[in-house]
Amino acid sequence: MDFGSFLAAPEIKIKIVTYRDIFQDKAMIENRFGEEYRDRSAILKLDPADFKQLNIKKGDTVILKNSFGKIVVKAEESGYEIPHRGIAYMPNSPWSNMLVSDETGGTGVPKFKDISATVTSAKGEKVTELRF
Amino acid sequence: MEKNYYVCTGCGLLCDDIEVESEKNIINKVYTACRVGVAHMKNAKGETNFLVDNKPVDEATAVREAASILKNAKNPLIFGLGTSTDETQKLAIELAKKTNATLDDTSSFCLGPLVEALLQDKLKTCTLEDVRNKADVIIFWGADPSDSHPRHLSKHSYFPRGSEKQKGWEEERTAIAIDVRKSHTAKICGNYFFQIPPGGDTEFIDALIAALSGKLPKTSYKYPPKKILELANILKGAKFGVIFAGLGLIYSLEDLEPVFRLMKVLNEKANFHLVPMVGHYNMRGFNENLFAETGYVNRVKFEDGIVKHGPEYSVVESLKAKTVDAALIIGSDPLSSLPRSVSKNLLEIPVISIDPCETLTSKHAKIYINTAVSGVEAGGSATRMDGTKVSFKPVVETVHPSDEAILKKIMEAV
Ligand code: SF4
Repeated sequence: MDFGSFLAAPEIKIKIVTYRDIFQDKAMIENRFGEEYRDRSAILKLDPADFKQLNIKKGDTVILKNSFGKIVVKAEESGYEIPHRGIAYMPNSPWSNMLVSDETGGTGVPKFKDISATVTSAKGEKVTELRF
Repeated sequence: MEKNYYVCTGCGLLCDDIEVESEKNIINKVYTACRVGVAHMKNAKGETNFLVDNKPVDEATAVREAASILKNAKNPLIFGLGTSTDETQKLAIELAKKTNATLDDTSSFCLGPLVEALLQDKLKTCTLEDVRNKADVIIFWGADPSDSHPRHLSKHSYFPRGSEKQKGWEEERTAIAIDVRKSHTAKICGNYFFQIPPGGDTEFIDALIAALSGKLPKTSYKYPPKKILELANILKGAKFGVIFAGLGLIYSLEDLEPVFRLMKVLNEKANFHLVPMVGHYNMRGFNENLFAETGYVNRVKFEDGIVKHGPEYSVVESLKAKTVDAALIIGSDPLSSLPRSVSKNLLEIPVISIDPCETLTSKHAKIYINTAVSGVEAGGSATRMDGTKVSFKPVVETVHPSDEAILKKIMEAV
């Protein structure tokens, strides 16, 4: 019996900052329903310490969850020299948009670049498909 | 031999020096464009498609059905148009008037306020040619053109030799990045990269204003004052400075007041211009065309000859509040680009999608009309991010109707 599977997987709270990526843009133009676009979009870049705490390896999937949605994406270390614990980066895409709040304070502008969510290991679950 | 140059409509830079090799209306090679531009120009594809409820129909049926949706709606939403020509945009404005529609575009949730301020002459601006020829201090603020506008630095802002900048970036230009992340552009800026925490822009602006005015710069996140003072010194020495303002800056501000404050002080001490980093090739054109017609750059509702304006007419608030009962979406994919918590409401109303590519939105649309790629298969005019007008001809011929032709037909049928 694997008692480890009964232990709660480590969960951390993060803020997700989204950004543009030229390779991802190119992949979208070529085929927005294709594998390359998914691989370059559904990805979360974490601080090495956060990454370690989640007990995962590069390319493992993680679950990102908040009250607006839940997605499964691949995780990796960001590679930035300056530590950024609690902040993770993700290309702007339909995946990141699944987690964006509808709270706008009536301004008409969602907080696309300011997303709060929890991350846990997805234990092998597949990356979320692009559909409704 | 005279060379034939084309315009790339892959982003707001509208590069006008593109050469292509094509055969039988298929583009085989694209020269001078960036990676995104090449993918964009080669994207023109085969058969044309008209779908109603996901079943193929002829063009006349698709147009008739689309017109009937718009006629029967009390408050249709017309949205998109950032990748359409001026000619198409003007037709869409007419159609919105005729159908008492709510009309909005992506600037509503990105750079709209900045373009509006420029059109109202509230900020000093300049062209990309001015930047190439004269700029000595260039700030990328919340912007990463290396990824979003790939030829920005090489063609205009940093690397080129300009008429008054013959020694180029090595000696005569200083590029500065202010961002929450060490982007590719920030890497190029080397020691002139100022990393601030998410949401820290207003404080950084006020600290910079303090430094420019000879006071001690303070931030709650304890940004080293010495670094801000160094930055202020560089800015004070600018003979021709320019701020390229991106989404990272705009999303972090409550309103534009901090930008106005900073530009005022910068122009007391030096000479500074601001250019918005417009993404879609003709978003600025949409803002200008609507502004000329109504005095507003986006978020309008036409009602029996009068124009209403406000955040409640933005695409986001109208979908959230479910005040629109049909949607005509032109060259945009809100099911992908808006928060799902908002865009899901589109699934409850009839949607007409006019787009050169199949998208999540087109897949869930009642009517899908597959049109020519604007700038590749159809010509027209547009406004570059800096406000310069650019005209272009199609690169290849196509069987796809242009969005302009389709809108004309819908207009006649409503
Ligand atoms: S920078 Fe923009 S306009 Fe220029 S080639 Fe690339 S995508 Fe096209």
